[in-house]
Amino acid sequence: MIEMQNITKRYPGNREALTHLNLTIEQGEMAFLTGPSGAGKSTLLKLIAAIERPTRGQIFINRKNITRIPKRKVPSLRRHMGVVFQDHHLLHDRNVFDNVSLPLQIAGFAQVDINRRVRAALDKVDLLDKEQMMPITLSGGEQQRVGIARAVVHKPAILLADEPTGNLDPELSAEIMRLFSEFNQVGVTVLIASHDLELIKRMQKRIIRLCAGECVDSQSL
Amino acid sequence: MVRARYQQPLARPNIKTRLRSYLRDHVRVFLFSLGKLYRTPFATTFTLLMIAVALALPACLYVLLNNLQTVTHKWDDTGQISLFLHTGTSEQTVEQLKNELTEHKQVGNVDYVPAELALREFQDRSEFGELLAGLPSNPLPPTLIVTPIDSAKQSDSLNKLKKEFQSIANVERVQLDMQWLQRLQAITNIIHRAITAIGIMLSLSVLLVVGNSIRLDIENRRAEIEVTKLIGATDRFIRRPFLYSGMWFGLLGGILALLLVFIVLLVIRQPAQDLIGLYNSDFKLMLPSFVQSVSLIGSSIILGIFGSWLAVGHHIAKIQPS
Repeated sequence: MIEMQNITKRYPGNREALTHLNLTIEQGEMAFLTGPSGAGKSTLLKLIAAIERPTRGQIFINRKNITRIPKRKVPSLRRHMGVVFQDHHLLHDRNVFDNVSLPLQIAGFAQVDINRRVRAALDKVDLLDKEQMMPITLSGGEQQRVGIARAVVHKPAILLADEPTGNLDPELSAEIMRLFSEFNQVGVTVLIASHDLELIKRMQKRIIRLCAGECVDSQSL
Repeated sequence: MVRARYQQPLARPNIKTRLRSYLRDHVRVFLFSLGKLYRTPFATTFTLLMIAVALALPACLYVLLNNLQTVTHKWDDTGQISLFLHTGTSEQTVEQLKNELTEHKQVGNVDYVPAELALREFQDRSEFGELLAGLPSNPLPPTLIVTPIDSAKQSDSLNKLKKEFQSIANVERVQLDMQWLQRLQAITNIIHRAITAIGIMLSLSVLLVVGNSIRLDIENRRAEIEVTKLIGATDRFIRRPFLYSGMWFGLLGGILALLLVFIVLLVIRQPAQDLIGLYNSDFKLMLPSFVQSVSLIGSSIILGIFGSWLAVGHHIAKIQPS
């Protein structure tokens, strides 16, 4: 599903975030990306979402080469993914329902389908009763679940998450991880960057350890 | 590991659904962008007033100039040509000439003012009466006053007639009582150009005012734009609400400008009519016509959209998720 061949990413100022990295994530796989800060976890996710371009090497998503994808095709690439952020990036001028429905509105779905899909996604993250609330009135864990609902509402093939439990206590973190593995069980390819080693070891999934830009350890279970 | 059942991906909506959602999005954004202005009343009022003042000034001047031009056109109508004949031209010759002129295609009416009548009128009207009475002979020539037909009253054809009459024997001098009108027209032409230039400069300032408030709006929504780009929104989708904001700025600013124009004109209406009344004219100050009002608002809308388009094109491309 995601294939990176000999990827090098150098930022201006000659700082190398990733060096000759090779990585393959199969369709339907769930993997954790870990390592100390500055190891290139975020850079790797950004390359997959075409937020950054690699300096060298090639990236394939679903066997399509996206290394030099033209700007105007980036939106449609991103519509096949769901992205979850550490600080959830919700829009505070609209309610939960409108936040979650955004990807469907962008893709131009009919209103009935939007209503159905948004409710299904909110049901999945157990927030069906909060659809009319404004994000600011929700707790941190609830806001993160709204972010996840928005990331999965359009049934993406790939779900990317950058430190999704960064601001949450262990109990809530475990609940969020359980949600991700549920999505994985219905076939979504999931890649989560996290430095919470205790938590991800318990998940019994593949762990990709990044160290100084190189993929030093990739254990499969 | 549980072998995953592959999740059925959502099918891309068909073209009809997408078209309908596209229109729905336009309606949504149309209302959303209006609501956005409503939620920031101070900034919105400020921007709208700047637009309104910038547009009302050239619009007022234009309407006033228009009024001036209709007044001078009315005076054009009196355009007459005086033919001063040689002193001592016989009555018979004058009569013959008068008949010839009456038959001219472009002449409506010919009046004959004999030299004696001219002298008497002059004596009655001026303080030189006694002085004139002391002269040995009448210094004034017999005069034919030609009123051309209406279609020949433009200054071009009047000048042509003047030349034609000059070549007639017995005519000493032809005078067109038009020169001061021509000067006035030349002045109004200059004013017209000046107003156009002012209008262009102030339109430019409207572009900048709208562009600037849209730029601020984009800056305030940087996070939102980043998120929507990350979710897969096209630039067009992101641009849309800002272009509609520009449209609202233009529409509301234009209406406000029109209101200002009406207020200003109603304030100066009476004194202006009093002034023109002194020139024996039944002048009524014209307010902007329906077409003029609509074109003021229309150009304001175009300026609003164009201004926001300039800001949007420059700033939205620069914002990328990071």
